[in-house]
Amino acid sequence: MITLVIGGAASGKSEYAERLIMKSAARPRIYLATMEPFGAEGRRRIEKHRAMRAAKDFQTLERYTGLINAEVPAGSAVLLECLGNLCANERYAPNGAGPDRAADAIRNGIFHLAAQCRDLVIVSNEVCSGGRDYAGDTLEYMQLLAFLHRRLAVQADNVCEVVCGLPVYHKGGEPQ
Amino acid sequence: MIFITGPLYSGKRTFAQKLLGCTPEELNRRAVQDVQDLARDCPNLEKLTEELSCREIVIAVETGGGVVPVDPAERAAREAAGRLACLLAERAETVVRVFCGLPTVLKGELP
Repeated sequence: MITLVIGGAASGKSEYAERLIMKSAARPRIYLATMEPFGAEGRRRIEKHRAMRAAKDFQTLERYTGLINAEVPAGSAVLLECLGNLCANERYAPNGAGPDRAADAIRNGIFHLAAQCRDLVIVSNEVCSGGRDYAGDTLEYMQLLAFLHRRLAVQADNVCEVVCGLPVYHKGGEPQ
Repeated sequence: MIFITGPLYSGKRTFAQKLLGCTPEELNRRAVQDVQDLARDCPNLEKLTEELSCREIVIAVETGGGVVPVDPAERAAREAAGRLACLLAERAETVVRVFCGLPTVLKGELP
């Protein structure tokens, strides 16, 4: 089952996504981290999320690009965090797929994961509710992420927006 | 406390006035508005939440839904606003999100 969890900055999306994985009967629990630790703020953010997962029995797998090569245990519960980072990495990183192939690389990678695990929860960042005063690279990044949201939402069983820590389902509902 | 949130100009105040059956002037007295601005540089968001929880209506603009700002201070302010909204929602009896003027109750029920 694929559940897409989208929210703005500090909306409580990570905590909510973790709750979904904790509710899932699938094991083991895999945390697929896509954020490369750049600078002190990046490291602090990663530390915060690590502390949240502490004692929750997660195995962490770090994968910044190329999800198509990621292997997870059959029948596992996978928390992918987050699609926004993955988009940036595939689009801009030297070993990423590049602007033209990023969307396909990410979609194929996600379906490759979904085929292996039992429950996949994908966390993503809402970036298109801040007006349209953007251009160039930033606009292209927004378009890429929004495109993936729409495409993944078609395939996903559940699509959830998190607003101040509370889930709002646009498709399906909270997995039981 | 009823916590009302939603994007900019989504109808939060109009909804609050309707809910209380009051004038804009009365709403200014009974509700605390734009609390996302109070989160910026706030040393203790829990304490701020505690203080705001005593109010009848608390209104916040959703600010975290745009591109992550390049400026570290702007990024931090947005994080703080989001965190404050999560804390307020936890404390509130009722949480309403107003979108295109349409209210959705996310928690509890309307009085």
